[in-house]
Formats: sequence, structure tokens, C-alpha cells
Amino acid sequence: MIFRFTLLLAICSAVYAYTVRYPHERPGVPVSERWQKLTAKGQPLAPWAGPWACVLDKKNGLIWEVKTDNESIHDGYWSYSWFDGRAGQANLGDCYFESERCDTLDLIRRANQEAQCGVSNWRLPSAEELQSLLYYQGKTGDALIDKGFFPHTKHGDYWSGQAQQPLTSSFRHLGYGALAVNFGTGETLALPYRNAAFVRLVSQLD
Amino acid sequence: MSIYKGNLFWVLLHLGAIVIVVINLLTGLRIASVSRPLWQSISAILPQGLIHPLHFTSGILLIVLVIGYIGWRLLTRGQRPKPVKPQALNFHRLVIRSGYLIFFGAMLSGLLAYFSLAPALVVAVHYYCALGIICYLLLHGGGYFVHYGMAAIKRILWPSRQLSPVSLGLLLLTFLLAGLGLQLSGKAAHVLLVAKVPLSQLIHIDGKADEAVWRQAETVDVLTQGGANFDNGQTRIRVQVVENGIEAFFHISWDDPTKSLKHLPLLKTQSGWQVEQQGFYNFDETRYYEDKLAVMVSNQCQAGGAGTVHLGPKPLADKPANWHGKGYHYSQDGAIRDLWHWKAVRTNNMILADDNYIGPPDKVRPGSRRYSAGYLQDGKESGAYVMNWRWYKPDVITPKRLPKSPELLTPYQQDNSDGLSWVIPWFDYQPYQAEHDNYPVGTRMPSVMYRSNRFEGDRADVRAFARWHQGRWSLELSRKLDTGSEYDVPLRHGVCLWVSAFDQSQVAHTRHALPIQLEFSGA
Ligand code: HEM
Repeated sequence: MIFRFTLLLAICSAVYAYTVRYPHERPGVPVSERWQKLTAKGQPLAPWAGPWACVLDKKNGLIWEVKTDNESIHDGYWSYSWFDGRAGQANLGDCYFESERCDTLDLIRRANQEAQCGVSNWRLPSAEELQSLLYYQGKTGDALIDKGFFPHTKHGDYWSGQAQQPLTSSFRHLGYGALAVNFGTGETLALPYRNAAFVRLVSQLD
Repeated sequence: MSIYKGNLFWVLLHLGAIVIVVINLLTGLRIASVSRPLWQSISAILPQGLIHPLHFTSGILLIVLVIGYIGWRLLTRGQRPKPVKPQALNFHRLVIRSGYLIFFGAMLSGLLAYFSLAPALVVAVHYYCALGIICYLLLHGGGYFVHYGMAAIKRILWPSRQLSPVSLGLLLLTFLLAGLGLQLSGKAAHVLLVAKVPLSQLIHIDGKADEAVWRQAETVDVLTQGGANFDNGQTRIRVQVVENGIEAFFHISWDDPTKSLKHLPLLKTQSGWQVEQQGFYNFDETRYYEDKLAVMVSNQCQAGGAGTVHLGPKPLADKPANWHGKGYHYSQDGAIRDLWHWKAVRTNNMILADDNYIGPPDKVRPGSRRYSAGYLQDGKESGAYVMNWRWYKPDVITPKRLPKSPELLTPYQQDNSDGLSWVIPWFDYQPYQAEHDNYPVGTRMPSVMYRSNRFEGDRADVRAFARWHQGRWSLELSRKLDTGSEYDVPLRHGVCLWVSAFDQSQVAHTRHALPIQLEFSGA
């Protein structure tokens, strides 16, 4: 009887030891093969951590600007007309950080002054570079981009640096414009320079 | 051991009871771990996933077994040898007698809880009976084993006698009864009659519910349980629904002694602004949170949340574990369940409810810390509400905006601030600048801002407004019967609802087992 009692006790202790040995699982850190968050100082960050100011595209060797909703120059609400100092139309977009209205050159100039993530050669991306951000497995209703890395992206047009594009259909009479990629529809279209569209700057990794 | 225990009927019943009681116990303890984190420490031996249907099914089977056993005892009374002198109450008999009481308690309280009729005391009885059953299994099973050794095990596994016709009949009857019980339980619901009102009848979504239709509409009343902060975790939710052929109107009211609007307020400390929180970092805040109410609408009517409640830290092998260890909502059948989420600060001031849904588990998204499985937002992320911090950290945060003048914060420094709106008026505030941040330590500031006025698109389908008056929230809500969106469930005859109230808590809501099934009077 004592032997059986000891056996019973041993079984109970074994079950208890098992539960102690295997406490319940905690979430692990999922990794992204392509994206790497960077702090405003350019330091790499864990996939969940924040705040982050830029995202490194490990596949294409690019650093992307990250949009915010904090009314800084990176606020995702601000829009810009296309202007490079010579071609295009200045000051036809909406932002609060310029005394006049805004164009793409304003953002580039301010971003280079600020040198976030250690980058001071920001530029407009090519249409192809922008298209490489399109992402169709997002949550319902999300803009077509990986929002975990690129929050505050609008369902709207984002300027590329490719100007001198002949305009078509209803814009034809305006002659030429620049290519923009729409993150609501995934389409790439030439838009008149005077249009107010969004901007996400990019820079080549040296 | 009495001699008739080798009977095949008894052996089958006893084996069935062992299996069912163990299932009931393990599923029950997993359910308990939702409100009693203590049980998470034995998570390794508790089942994960769709636990409620299993618990209810095995509960019903247990009741059937007990009825079968009582029938068998009564019918075979004559065949049992009469003891010459009354038997002494030995250890085993004492344990078994106590067992009768404990099992009766567990079953009765379980049934009452199943029909949402159990006051807090009865819910507690259910829990303590389960603890009693753990002791019972040790003393009864362990006791026999220690006393008789392998002979006891052989006795419960090895029938020694033929099955008598009476036993055979009873066995069949028990099976039949089990089938019937499961059939009936599959249909059980709180039925709510939805009256049709003329289109000309205006119903204002203002939380007052003073229109005549509400005096005539039928009411379903469910005692929901298991929520944080409510008295004993319980609140009685009353639901009325009417429709006019185009839209449905809901009046939902529930007891909540405290009106909670302090939603993760910001507090100035020595080191800077801090988000006041107690469990927000693990996505389980139960103190600095607004009151909320959720309504789930589903074409599937399985008890325990329409098959969407998957308990445990990691119910999906190939998906991340959750932070609080409680579980996830998702559906396994590919269909979606509509989920409206009214929030006393974030949505009430916009006269809206968040329109979400529960669908199949989402893919893992490396960029976000919180994996929410099948609980997803319907549509556009738009202006709507934003929180007044640039990036959430448990220690210090930087606000996005500060008031243009410090007086704007004066009202929030009083103890009784429930009359305030707790929403930051965008244009009375300005972008944060360290030079302007001269607020004294101890200053409290609201943290919910509306950047644009309303949700757009799919997320704005549900209009909702509630008032709190004398310990009760009264919520009016309306939605089109059929929005045409693939992320909404049309409201029609036979559709099922579940309602859950939140008392200043982020996820710890009350719940009920059986659905509220809508019966359209026109149908
Ligand atoms: C051996 C029998 C049973 C055991 C050991 C058992 C155990 C438990 C336990 C431990 C809980 C969690 C209680 C808490 O956290 O306060 C629970 C919940 C519950 N049980 Fe049972 N139970 C049994 C039988 C039944 C029966 C027969 C029914 C009725 C069909 C039932 C219906 C329920 C319900 C409705 C809940 C609440 C579910 C929830 O909170 O989400 N149980 N049970």
C-alpha cells in the first residue's frame, strides 16, 4: 500500500513538474526578410519596437522615409505639387510646415536639412521603386503597403521623380506631368504637376 | 467494492464518466484561466482552442450519464444483495457520497450558467465544485488504487458479467437521451422577437430610448458574467430590437455603477509624460480605460460565441502566442461574424460604433506587436481617433499635442471628471514643443483626439450613442439590415447575437453562453 501511495504521489509530482517545466508560450518576434526599421539616428530596431523614422529595404538597398501623424514634416496628411526647382509647379500642395503652400522640393530640402536616419541625400523615388512597395496581403481596407512598417500611408497618389511624361485622357490639354503610384488602387499614372499628391522620399544606401 | 460493479453496463458508464469528467475538468479549468490567471500556470496540461462547445457538450453528456446511472440503480434495486446489517460508512463510501453532492452542484450550477440564470454565487459554486472534483478524483480514484492496487483498475476496465436485458435497454436509452440532449442543446437560444415598425416612425440615436416603440418592444435579458470590475464580474444586459424594412434599431442597456471615461490619460511625472495604465502593455488594461459594449452578429449560432472563442496562449500552432495567455477570436469555417464595438469616449462622441468583424486568422505581420488573429477592422483606417502620444512606451512618452493654454486642463485635475468629454478638441491644442511643456508634475491630460470627424466607408455603418444615468448605460444603435458589404452580416430572421459589456477594461468583457436569436415578426 505504501508503494502504491508513493507511486501515486510520484505521478502527481511528475504532472506538476511538467507544468512548471513548460510554462505557457510567450509571443516570439516574427522577422521580416525585407524590411528593417531604423531610428531617427539610423540605428536598427527590432520589428516591434519604435518609434522608427526610416525603413531599410534590404532587398533593394534603399532607405525609405516613414510617414507619421505628428504634424512634423513627415506627416502623412501633407500633400505636395510636383516641382524640382525648374520644371513642375511650385507650392500647390497642403502642409503646415512652410509659410507658403508646399511642393516636393520643400520636403526634400527640409528632410535633407534634418538628416533623419543619417540621410541627407533624400530624393523622389522612381515609379519602379514605388511599385516595389505595393503589397496586396494587407488587412481589409488598408492602403496597398505593409502597414506594419509603413503606417499612415493614404489610399492616394504618391509622386515619383519621373517627370516629362505625356498626360493622357482628361489631363491631355495640360501637356506633361510626372508619374505617380496610387496606393489605393496600385495603378501608376502620369498626373499634372499642379496636382496635390503625397510623397514618400527615398535614398540610395551608400 | 460491492459485487455488482463488474456489470458491463456499470463498467461502460463508469468509463464514460471518467472520460467526460476529465474533459469537463480540463476544459473548465482552461475557461477559468481567462478570469483567474492562476490557472495559466498549469497551461501545459490544459487543452487550447475551441473549448466552450467541448465543455458544454461534455457537460450535457455527463448529465445524461447521471440520469442513466440513476435509472439503472432504481431498476436493479431488486437484484442487489441486501446487506444483513447496515454497512459501515467507510472511507470510500464517504468519498463517493461527497462526490454525489459535488457533481450535483457542478451540474446544476453549470446548467444555470449555461442558460444565463446563474447569479454570482452560483457561478462561484460551479468553480468550487470543479476544485472539489479535483480532490474527488484524487481521493476516489487514488484511494481505490492505493487500497486495492491493480484489482481496482481491473474492476473498472474489465466487465465480469453478461449484459442483462434491462441493462441493455438502459444503455440504448442513455445513448438515445445523449443524442436528444445534443440535438436540443444545438438549438437552444434566447429568442427575441423583432417587431416591424413603420418607416414613418422616427427613432433618434440619442441613448434616451424615449420613443413609444421601445415601450412595446420585446426585451431579452441576459445575466452576463466574467467581466473585470463589474460587481462580482456580472451585469444584466437588456436587449430590444425593432426594424422598419430598411434599418434595424437596437436598444441595449446594462448596469455599470461607474461611468468610466478616463481612457489611458497622460500624467506628468518627474521624468516626463506617462500613460496611466495597469495592464495596457500586455493589451489587458483594467483600470484606465473607457467603458465599452460589443455586439456580435452571426449566421452561426453555436453556444459560446459562435465558434470564434479560441482559448489558450497559442491555439494556432503556426501563429504567434498572445500576450495575455487568454486566447484569440477567429473563425474556422471561413465565414465572418460581424462585431460592433461601441466605446464611451473614442466612438460615442462621433455617434458611431467601430464596425469590426471576426474572420479566419490573419497572416502574421512582422511589423506589429499585437497579432489579433481573426479580430479585424472592416474598412478604411481614416482620421477617426488617434491617441496623443507619438509612440507608446510604458515609462515616458512624448505627446503629439499640448493645449494652447494650460487652463484647458484645469477641469481634468478634479476627482470627479465624469461630466467632461475626455476628447481633445483638435484646434484648442497645438503640436508639441518642449519649450511649451511647462506643466507641473501631477497634471493629468486626456489622450483621445479626433483628427477628422468620422470614420469613413465601411467602418461608419453603425450609428450608436449612449447615455449613462444613475448606474446604467443606455445605448441606442442602428444599422441597415443589409449593408451589401462582404464584411457585414445582414440582419435577418434567425440571425444570432452575443452581447458583452466592458467596465473600464480593454479586453476583460462579460459573456454569456447561448445566443440571442432574432425572430423577425414579418418572417
Ligand atoms: C464535471 C463537471 C464540470 C466541471 C469540472 C466544470 C468546470 C468548470 C470550470 C472550472 C469553469 C470556469 C468557472 C470560473 O472561471 O468561474 C466552468 C465554466 C462553465 N461551465 Fe462548467 N464544469 C462542469 C460541468 C458543466 C455543465 C454540466 C455545464 C452545463 C452545460 C457547464 C457549463 C459551464 C458554463 C456555462 C461555464 C461558464 C463559461 C464561461 O465563463 O465562459 N459546466 N466549468
